[in-house]
Amino acid sequence: MPSQEQIEKIVEKLAELKDTSELMLDLAYSAILLNSRELAEEVEELEEHVDELHTEFELLVLSSGFKRQESKHFLGLIRIGVVTEAIADAAAEMAEVVLRQLEPHPVLKMVIKEAEETVLRVQVSENSPLADKTMREARIPEKTGMWVLAIRRGNRWIRPKPRTKIRAGDILIASGYAEGEEDLKQLATGQTNQEETG
Amino acid sequence: MSEFEKIEYEPHSVRELLLEMKDTSELMIDLAYSAALFNDRELAEEVLELESHVDLLAYQLNMSTMIAARDPEDAESLVAVLKVASSADKISDAAADIAAIVLRKIGVHPLVSKVFKKVEEGLVKAIVKSNSILAGKSLDELELAAKIGVDITAIRRQRRWIINPKGSERIREGDVLFARGSHTGVEELKQLADGTLRKLEDET
Repeated sequence: MPSQEQIEKIVEKLAELKDTSELMLDLAYSAILLNSRELAEEVEELEEHVDELHTEFELLVLSSGFKRQESKHFLGLIRIGVVTEAIADAAAEMAEVVLRQLEPHPVLKMVIKEAEETVLRVQVSENSPLADKTMREARIPEKTGMWVLAIRRGNRWIRPKPRTKIRAGDILIASGYAEGEEDLKQLATGQTNQEETG
Repeated sequence: MSEFEKIEYEPHSVRELLLEMKDTSELMIDLAYSAALFNDRELAEEVLELESHVDLLAYQLNMSTMIAARDPEDAESLVAVLKVASSADKISDAAADIAAIVLRKIGVHPLVSKVFKKVEEGLVKAIVKSNSILAGKSLDELELAAKIGVDITAIRRQRRWIINPKGSERIREGDVLFARGSHTGVEELKQLADGTLRKLEDET
């Protein structure tokens, strides 16, 4: 039977696979919407990362020493891993469109903007309540239903971690339900009549 | 052997078709993960139905795109549309693969619930009790996405499924809600549904 430590490792890898594959999907749509080579390249790099992660995950599961009667349930886990990899591949194929310098048809940008889950690009202003907060303190998903996928600071891209501090001038690339778009814009620009958030 | 529907051209706009493919494929991922997490066969079947619907959309989209291309320039810019559509189709296939795990009774190791606690987006299944403030309200009135960062992906009402419910849909007592969102948001939804939380507050 797999040890507690092995279970923890399997959980961690699969969670990372799932999150990364979905992040890639959002980044790929963002790359098309903004016609950004850099974001598309980020997706391609993540795809390689997912390939490695996926192999590590499968090896972890296969070497965990599960009992014969557990094999079906472990097969289920492996299949979920395969799915995350398939999603990552699909995202990479989308990003490739940008890297091949195909000027996307206007209809494509319209669709990405109109979709239920949309991507948004917004700059953090000096008087935004987000400025100088860490991602964890900013609680953006709770407040707006939007997730920050990437931060553009000067010439570089940062992938936000809970401890990443947001600075005025940062450009946030976020995805989420269309309803949260306005909330995030207000937070980032600081143009809101409501009380300081917290 | 499954039945295949005959395909005939229908006049739909490329925009309309691609939008539906994108929205449906993304919704399917969350529905499929929910089916695996809550080991829900019926929900898994709904995912398979959506998958065959996306297949039909892909055929329609391919035909509409071919008709839309008038010159090499059009062809170059429309090929990106087809690539994105084919990716959406692959994502829908991937979601169906998760549903198949549930339907073929392979099941997923219980440790998967730990995985879903760790990932960025939380999933929840909640039953609306009689004293819930959600009962009787429409999704538009509740504004769950804006207020608590939660999106209802499906409602099971007795034997019926409402997939991706519209804003005008009214929640009823006894409804089983499936939703995705931030971890605190989905926890709040659960409490709102079982009546332990009596107020829906906007965090911003």
